[in-house]
Amino acid sequence: RPYSHALVTGIDCYPRKLTAAMGKKKIAKRSKIKSFVKVYNHSHLMPTRYSLDIRLDKTIINKDVFRDPALKHKTQQEAKVEFEERYKTGKNKWFFQKLRF
Amino acid sequence: MKKSLESINSQLQLMGSGKYMLGYKQTLKMIRQGTAKLVVLANNGPALRKSEIEYYAMLAKIGVHHYSGNNIELGTACGKYYRVCTLALTEPGDSTIIRSMPEQTGGK
Repeated sequence: RPYSHALVTGIDCYPRKLTAAMGKKKIAKRSKIKSFVKVYNHSHLMPTRYSLDIRLDKTIINKDVFRDPALKHKTQQEAKVEFEERYKTGKNKWFFQKLRF
Repeated sequence: MKKSLESINSQLQLMGSGKYMLGYKQTLKMIRQGTAKLVVLANNGPALRKSEIEYYAMLAKIGVHHYSGNNIELGTACGKYYRVCTLALTEPGDSTIIRSMPEQTGGK
């Protein structure tokens, strides 16, 4: 591409709020995360001071993914699994909070 | 205050020997690439834009972002006939502006 771009993975649908009173099944349902993977122009991104160190498998998540929809789906699955794991440990709270705008 | 304004102005004129980028979009590009050494903002820019650039520069640890006068004044200081709200210096050239900047804002 002629402009400076970056491959971005992130959360599409945020996990819903959980309270103490919810049963296990309900919690499991509400903790679901939908992820996206996309290539963005740098000028359409805003950098933040937050960082998330998560190992994302570069062989699965890379730029060639966009040619093949099946591969793209697989990449999103991979990212989703990683994100959900991290969400359950309760770290990086900011990342999993709904971005309000 | 007036004195420091004049000294910045004179250094901005010397900046003509170095490399710089005028304008909001280009300064952001330079910051993103990491080639900007100093960002100068006029004081009548929109506050949101001002804080956005400050944030970017803070993340990139770029020199110092300093407020001169009006954007008309900044434009004239750069020797241009148009207004300049944002300005990024990539290479200082003959100018001592990058060295003297931290002293001034440190003094504040």
